[in-house]
Amino acid sequence: MPIASESVRVTVNGTMYERNVEPRLLLSDFLRHELGLTGTHVGCEHGVCGMCTILLDGRTARSCLAFAVQADGCQIRTVEGLGTADALHAIQEAFWEMHGLQCGYCTPAMLMAAVELIEANPNPSREEILETVGGILCRCTGYQTIVEAVELAARRTRERAQ
Amino acid sequence: MTDVSNRIPRSRQKEAPRDAYRWIGRSMKRVEDPRLLTGHGTYADDIHLSGMAHAAVLRSPHAHARIKSINTSKAKALPGVILVMTGAEAAEQAGPLPCFANPPVKQMCIAVDRVRHVGEPVAAVVAESRYIAEDALELIDVTWEPLPVMADPEAASRATGDGVLHPDRGDTNIAFRRSFDFGPVDEDFAQADHIIRRKLRWPRSGAQPMETVGAVAEYNPGTGKFTIYANTSMYNYVGWLVAVSLGVPAHRLNIVPTLAGGSFGSKIFTHRVMVIAATLARASGRPVKYIEDRIDNITACDAHGCDRIYDVELAVKEGLMTGLKCRVIDDYGAYFQFGVGHHGNSLSQITGPYRLRSVRLDLTAVLTNKCQQGAYRGFGSDVSNFVLERMVDTAIAELNDDPIEFRRRNFIQPDQFPYLIPTGNMYDSGNYPAVLDRALGLLDYAGWRKKQAEARQNGRYIGIGVATCQERSVFSATEFWMLNEEPGFALTSSPESVSLKMDPTGKVYVALQAPFWGNSPETVATQVLAEQLQIDPQDIIVTYSDSDHGLNGTGPGGSRFTVMLAGAVVGAAHQLREKLIRVAAHMMEADTNDLELRDGKVGVRGVPGMEKTFAEVALHAHYFRLSMPDDPSLTSGLDAAHVYDHPVTTLPADDRKDLGIFYPIMGHMCHLPVVEVDIETGKVRFLAYAAVHDCGTLVNPMTLAGHVRGGVAQGIGTALYERYYYDQQGQLLTASFMDYLIPTVHELPDEIVVGHVETPSPFTEYGIKGGGEGGRMGAPPAVASAVEDALRPLGVKIDVLPLTPRYLRTSIREAQRRQVAAPA
Amino acid sequence: MKPPPFEYVRPVDLDGVLGALAQNSGETKILAGGQSLVPMMNLRLVAPKRLVDINRVPGLDRIARDGDRLLIGALARHTDVLTSPVVREYAPLVVAAYRHVAHRPIRNRGTIGGNLAHADPASELPAVMLALDAEFVLRSLAGERQVAAERFFLGTFETAARAAEVLTAIHIPLAAGSRRWGFEETSQRQGDFALVAVAVTFAVDGGRCANPRLAYAGAADRAVRIAAAEAALEGQSPDQTLFEQVAAKAAEAADPPEDLHADAAYRRDLVRALTRRALSAAARG
Repeated sequence: MPIASESVRVTVNGTMYERNVEPRLLLSDFLRHELGLTGTHVGCEHGVCGMCTILLDGRTARSCLAFAVQADGCQIRTVEGLGTADALHAIQEAFWEMHGLQCGYCTPAMLMAAVELIEANPNPSREEILETVGGILCRCTGYQTIVEAVELAARRTRERAQ
Repeated sequence: MTDVSNRIPRSRQKEAPRDAYRWIGRSMKRVEDPRLLTGHGTYADDIHLSGMAHAAVLRSPHAHARIKSINTSKAKALPGVILVMTGAEAAEQAGPLPCFANPPVKQMCIAVDRVRHVGEPVAAVVAESRYIAEDALELIDVTWEPLPVMADPEAASRATGDGVLHPDRGDTNIAFRRSFDFGPVDEDFAQADHIIRRKLRWPRSGAQPMETVGAVAEYNPGTGKFTIYANTSMYNYVGWLVAVSLGVPAHRLNIVPTLAGGSFGSKIFTHRVMVIAATLARASGRPVKYIEDRIDNITACDAHGCDRIYDVELAVKEGLMTGLKCRVIDDYGAYFQFGVGHHGNSLSQITGPYRLRSVRLDLTAVLTNKCQQGAYRGFGSDVSNFVLERMVDTAIAELNDDPIEFRRRNFIQPDQFPYLIPTGNMYDSGNYPAVLDRALGLLDYAGWRKKQAEARQNGRYIGIGVATCQERSVFSATEFWMLNEEPGFALTSSPESVSLKMDPTGKVYVALQAPFWGNSPETVATQVLAEQLQIDPQDIIVTYSDSDHGLNGTGPGGSRFTVMLAGAVVGAAHQLREKLIRVAAHMMEADTNDLELRDGKVGVRGVPGMEKTFAEVALHAHYFRLSMPDDPSLTSGLDAAHVYDHPVTTLPADDRKDLGIFYPIMGHMCHLPVVEVDIETGKVRFLAYAAVHDCGTLVNPMTLAGHVRGGVAQGIGTALYERYYYDQQGQLLTASFMDYLIPTVHELPDEIVVGHVETPSPFTEYGIKGGGEGGRMGAPPAVASAVEDALRPLGVKIDVLPLTPRYLRTSIREAQRRQVAAPA
Repeated sequence: MKPPPFEYVRPVDLDGVLGALAQNSGETKILAGGQSLVPMMNLRLVAPKRLVDINRVPGLDRIARDGDRLLIGALARHTDVLTSPVVREYAPLVVAAYRHVAHRPIRNRGTIGGNLAHADPASELPAVMLALDAEFVLRSLAGERQVAAERFFLGTFETAARAAEVLTAIHIPLAAGSRRWGFEETSQRQGDFALVAVAVTFAVDGGRCANPRLAYAGAADRAVRIAAAEAALEGQSPDQTLFEQVAAKAAEAADPPEDLHADAAYRRDLVRALTRRALSAAARG
């Protein structure tokens, strides 16, 4: 049977993309291979590990559990939209200072989840931070420095606002 | 092989530890991080080559079966499919995978006439997309003839005929059977006043990094050369063995490392994935990407952890442990890539930090229908730490002794180093009482014992675990073959190398021979080099050599990389320093003995103004040959390379009653977790966790603490959550992340308080010791100890891992029934 | 792990969904949050020929008080249900249970209707709905019908919804939502499916328990209430001794499934312990 094609228009990190895709193309593969945004990683493709976490219309979502066609008309933010080596986002700075990463594979996901949390609430409780970090696996750090990084980023965000 | 003397070789340390450093010892932010933080690190699946096609592998649904037929015609006909390859077809183009055991066990990259574990590749498809490749897998028709499944190692050890996995090796699944005696075992047991006996079970768990193994291979038909991009290690040590498998001379293969999203040992060689990708690339005429999906990785990563049944006896005389006897059955799975190297590893520290003087190891390695064991953080010593500490806890309980004082009494004392243990290995330095005391203080051990007593009055079950364990570092190659009847390839080199250059602008380049795994090789190299050259880290760049350009480099593993990298950097930096000084001496008309390196300059000692910047010296060195003395050793440029061999290693004796010195850079740790067990549900939660590690001189305390915590997290996974669970038909019931349970932040202690003690090594540069594996090597015994302590009022004994809620609740229920039936 | 190919339709209204379902409903699946469906497709455990994406259909995600009941649209995302002030006020048991449901990114996309229609026997929400006397609204081209939660969960992944029906709304009587409640769960890790979960509600009338509901995940092949335990609670004076007896009855009456992580004996132990704890929590109020 011919491969059906659907049109997708999606804004990623502020840039609008228009593509024709097979309905079954996963959003994670669309971002990584169709758009070349390989910062978002893939770890399990069954929704458990969280490596593929991105912001979809402002909320974290597992991109391996969505089809690219579903993102038509949506706004997506990925790690590439946060900062660059010369101009790191506050959350990236905090992770760097607190050693919140080792292999870096879960880092983009952790960063996006932290962004969701802090942008909604720059004064999160420890429980809310744990809930945020709890949704993504890390095999390297034991999580403690990730939690500390999120706390630091939240504190700095509050200070900057004052 | 001649007999070996057991004298300890002289130290070749060039840089002694000192009280203050400029860069070493700093918790410097990592050099690796900016690209990782911004999503610009290149991992295997990020590699994109023009014309690249995608591979997927058909996994065997059977644990043990003959392949009667494979029909690939429908799969080949699917639009978008480029190539379908069976194991038989692959075997025409690629030979067996490397195996370090002797005699080897033959493993092909795709199974040929039979499959030996669930998940083993049976066929491979190359297609325009991974999606189509997986569609094609469903169209491959295989007919099978099931064979008896060897799921239980004891049954497997007795099987013959059709139950034998590798009949070409003999009519048995026993891959190795040997007994070793070190020291006066029989005498110690005859004279003991107390013998402790225990059966212990350590089932297989595994690394499960967040990134699976992957390779992108291309074959250039014009040059006959392969290029393979992969998240692999050891490509500058034994990478050429992959060329052998591919049937090409070694220089027709270049392996290019990508970043690895975690390894913990599972990516140490990745031969199967590389050979599959390369074979498919050559056959299809397209570059081929083969990335394991998570099920591929769980079922067939060739890197499951140890899987052992122990029968142990410990001899005690007057409160001191003397002899240890271990009978071990090790369930190795379907292949045998590292032989019994894991047991060589255990023997490096099998007596722990204690003055035990004799050891018997009775080892049977059995092949079964499971994924083969590979390397997982600890590589066998994780298990022997668990075994020894369980025996120590048992001795303490049976002798009604104190968990702290018994250990302290049995410790090797600080004035006894360097210390030779009964197996022949050496512990280079240590201060075990200091580590213990530091940990007791960090935890407030006395405070928690008080709280425990109160909690018991209130019907709560709180336990404090104690584990005082060794964490060996810097393996020697001898551990891979020293236990074999016939060594096979008895290699003795396990070096590490760097090459350095300073460019005409004064920037320094360091090329490494091994990859980034999440360890911090760039940061370590930068800190050590900055210390050596007294240069700003910003002026250093670290790169990774592919195998074409690489020097001999063993890579990370066995907690060796920091030590070996430091040794290589020091060796190369000394050469570079010497040349810088010679050129500067000429430029300033000074004596080389009067010059020093300071703040990125070469200057006259004691004369602040008289100096040249590195940039000035470098420019001169690169371009102005004729204005320098006519000395043939003063060539244009500033570069150096150094191969740093294992700093202290000796051969085993012929009779193997002495294994030589093979893993001597000996770290030590004390882990003290506090847990509470909910006896109605069997759930364990952490109330506190203190971990003190002695890894000698610390290069970067922050990154070391990161390894300790990450290792503890994996150790807690091993202790409470993780198991590759095979049923009696060899079906892997934990084949996805839904059932193979990796801890999230919620399952870990709120805080793992990490402390450091530093007893430098006399043998390594700056006295550094490795520490990458320690966390995982200490947490399982510590957690087992804590749970047993918590359940002491009920008399529940912990002999088995993982301590799942169901397992603990069942044990508690049975213990409660016993108490009701026979009240004390 | 990539999903097999499918035809994709995205109707703009409910009639479009129902019409699409009515054709060839055997090979069609609704795509709502996708948090249960897509993993199964990626693992190639299911291969629907057609997916009907319901996410753009307006009006199915309302959360509101509607007279004497709380109305939750099937398409409401878990995150919106658990943060809704209306749900917090009228059915706090739902909010409490959500603390055990998955993780935030899953809750952001997953829908309450999708979860209930999927009917995983280890899922928390079906048990919660039983404890709250919920009613489910099912729509098809033939019309609308309501099915009580009591009669909705028929087996593992099996519900009373017919092939061409869509769950559109959940009604929770305010009377049920205002009863005392307790929720306890044991899972391997935080956020995992329940090994056993208990949702209890009861009213206290003249110092005695009235209208007790004891609903479970993990006590049977589907979410169930345990009638024998409810009968033991009905009309009795709530105290620890009673709760222990009720818990024992519940454990005895349970017919738990067995799997890798828990055998029947262990699940029975959990039923007993968690029932007692949930009842105590409910009594404390």
